[in-house]
Amino acid sequence: MKFSEIVVKDSVITDLKVENKEDAIRKLVGSLRANGQISADNEESIVGAILKREELGSTGIGKGIAVPHTKHPSVDELIATIAIAPEGVDFASLDGEDVYILFLLISPPDRPGDHLRALETISRHLRNENFCSFLRQSRTPEEVLELLKEADQDEV
Amino acid sequence: MNGFMFLIDQLILIGGVLILLGILSNMISSRLGVPVLVLFLFLGMLAGSEGIGGLEFEDYKLAHAIGTLALAMILFDGGLSTKIESVKSAWKPAVTLATLGVLITAGITGAAAAWVLNLPWLEGLLLGSIVGSTDAAAVFSILRNGGVGLPPKIASTLEMESGTNDPMAIFMTIGCIELLAQRMTFGVELLSLFAMQMVFGVLIGAAIGGLAVWIVNRIQLGAAGLYPVLVTSFCLLAFGLAANLGGSGFLSVYLCGLVLGNSHLIFKRGIRLYHDALAWLSQILMFVLLGLLSFPSRLLNISLKAMLIAAVLILIARPLACFLCLIPFRFQFKPMLFISWVGLKGAVPITLATFPLMMGSPNASLLFDTVFFIVVASAIIQGSSLAVVASALGLKTPKEPEPPVTLEISTLRHVDGDIVDYLVGDNSRASGKMVKELALPDGVVIALITRGDELIPPQGTTRVQSGDHVVLVLKQGTRPLVNQIFGRSEDQRGVIPAAFEFPLRGSITCSELSDYYGIVLDVSPTLTLNEMLKQRMTVKVGNQIRIGPLNLKILSLEEDQSIAMVGMAILSEAEIRAAEQDHTIG
Repeated sequence: MKFSEIVVKDSVITDLKVENKEDAIRKLVGSLRANGQISADNEESIVGAILKREELGSTGIGKGIAVPHTKHPSVDELIATIAIAPEGVDFASLDGEDVYILFLLISPPDRPGDHLRALETISRHLRNENFCSFLRQSRTPEEVLELLKEADQDEV
Repeated sequence: MNGFMFLIDQLILIGGVLILLGILSNMISSRLGVPVLVLFLFLGMLAGSEGIGGLEFEDYKLAHAIGTLALAMILFDGGLSTKIESVKSAWKPAVTLATLGVLITAGITGAAAAWVLNLPWLEGLLLGSIVGSTDAAAVFSILRNGGVGLPPKIASTLEMESGTNDPMAIFMTIGCIELLAQRMTFGVELLSLFAMQMVFGVLIGAAIGGLAVWIVNRIQLGAAGLYPVLVTSFCLLAFGLAANLGGSGFLSVYLCGLVLGNSHLIFKRGIRLYHDALAWLSQILMFVLLGLLSFPSRLLNISLKAMLIAAVLILIARPLACFLCLIPFRFQFKPMLFISWVGLKGAVPITLATFPLMMGSPNASLLFDTVFFIVVASAIIQGSSLAVVASALGLKTPKEPEPPVTLEISTLRHVDGDIVDYLVGDNSRASGKMVKELALPDGVVIALITRGDELIPPQGTTRVQSGDHVVLVLKQGTRPLVNQIFGRSEDQRGVIPAAFEFPLRGSITCSELSDYYGIVLDVSPTLTLNEMLKQRMTVKVGNQIRIGPLNLKILSLEEDQSIAMVGMAILSEAEIRAAEQDHTIG
């Protein structure tokens, strides 16, 4: 699976400034709503679903990265967005470090295979140190999108 | 008896002395902060007709022949040790620098040379082309042996640029000579020369590389020593075939080396070591010979003018070329400045400068002396200040973590794994731990521990001590993890989890797991993850189990030995296929 198939272009945030995990998730979901990917009616329910998934264990997977995700019946396609938080967010990560890169994924419940493929794609690319450090250095959404394009072509 | 003194007897003696001195100068180069190639050159100059050695050597054809062969060996070794990952991340900027960058550098330097030396513009451009490329031997030796740690993107770009830019410089040099001799005209002929060089260089290099891998792994040779020689024969084939068909032999050997170095090869370690040695020998021979070839007194005569051209090259042409080529690839200012500074010149320009001499171009010896001066100036000025510049720009990174000392047992047949001897150091993570605490990955077994003269059959409770040799049998792909286990404890770099793991609490239920990740478990939905895993595996931190597309690893236990946290990694389709195959075979 490629980033270009799931990441909503205009929703990328590169200057996320929030106090805590919940605010971070709200901001990301809000950005997807602002781009018309989800309706305002469902916004609260989606935020709730993501926070509920966090209760199983934080999706802060270490190295300054978090991948909050959930399934939700209100979406028809897999949608993802990315936020860079230059100052870091406390995400209750396993390694206790603040999070600087956030990938948020929402999948329709009837496509469990694609949901896993998308998570696998994200975590595979995030294992690439170059990819992570370029991502963290990105100052504009255009830079992030360009980097994702390169990652899709395995050029990072 | 004295009557039977052959010339070769003396040459062997001289060769031995010069190589020995070359190796000694390598030992002092790091202390002096001067790149070793400069010392080799000086050694040659000292031994030469105007130095204390008084050796007469003015055979440009021989110098060109040896220079070409040596360069092929150096580039081949460079290809062998270049990892495909760095090619993937750097080939676009590197190739731009290697083509357009050389053109811009040569053009500006050429214009300056034409003006300073009062030459026709085409002869100026010839000089610019000769010094247009960045030297692979110099860059490799500084990046790999010089203790300069650089961010991977910069290091990869530089290595690849220097490995691939010689064909462009050679093409431009030959093009200028042909134009000067009026054997060729601007336009189609020149372009087809370029296309032939590139296309045949790439195709033949890649094809011979692929063929070599196939043959090396299938041929069954009785003597291990023949394998490296077999590989050398393919190196020569790659160069010779490409060059004789009108392609670039240098590009071809580099690519051939790249293919071989990134394939699974029998006796790879021996092959690598042998070619590394060949590359060193080539460097010493080539630079000493080129030093012999020069005339220090003539260098003095042109020193002012040559210095001026060198200044234009170093301060204007190279930086401008770098910035123009690298800005589109989102390089930042400091890395671009640094890459500009690493425009080291080396043996290629001096070898190329023998071309006009052989072909009788006008002003050939003026060109040769000027080029020689520029190379020495560039190597001394840029080469000796690289480390300082890197740290001033804040680009210096700690050197890669030192792998633990290992000794490898090579096999001449394919086996799916390695036998490796790790020496446990004082600060190794493994030191002082019991074997069972080492958390060795699947497919890794300790076969033997030797302590002093004692052989210790390892058991779970055997404690590993510093100074021990631990002999392990490793399955393919487990090496990096084992390196970490035996690596130095303060080394936090390179500690990357095999895959990113999502932490899950042991207390969550199986139905939650199914809901979120769509896996089908034939158990009661209210069963907790802890209970489910206890049924299926031995509970121990580090143990893991695959359930469909998920890999679950026990991360921590509660006091009552129930599972507190589990790391969940999502396997790729390839990993699942591999795991399922293992399962059916096992």
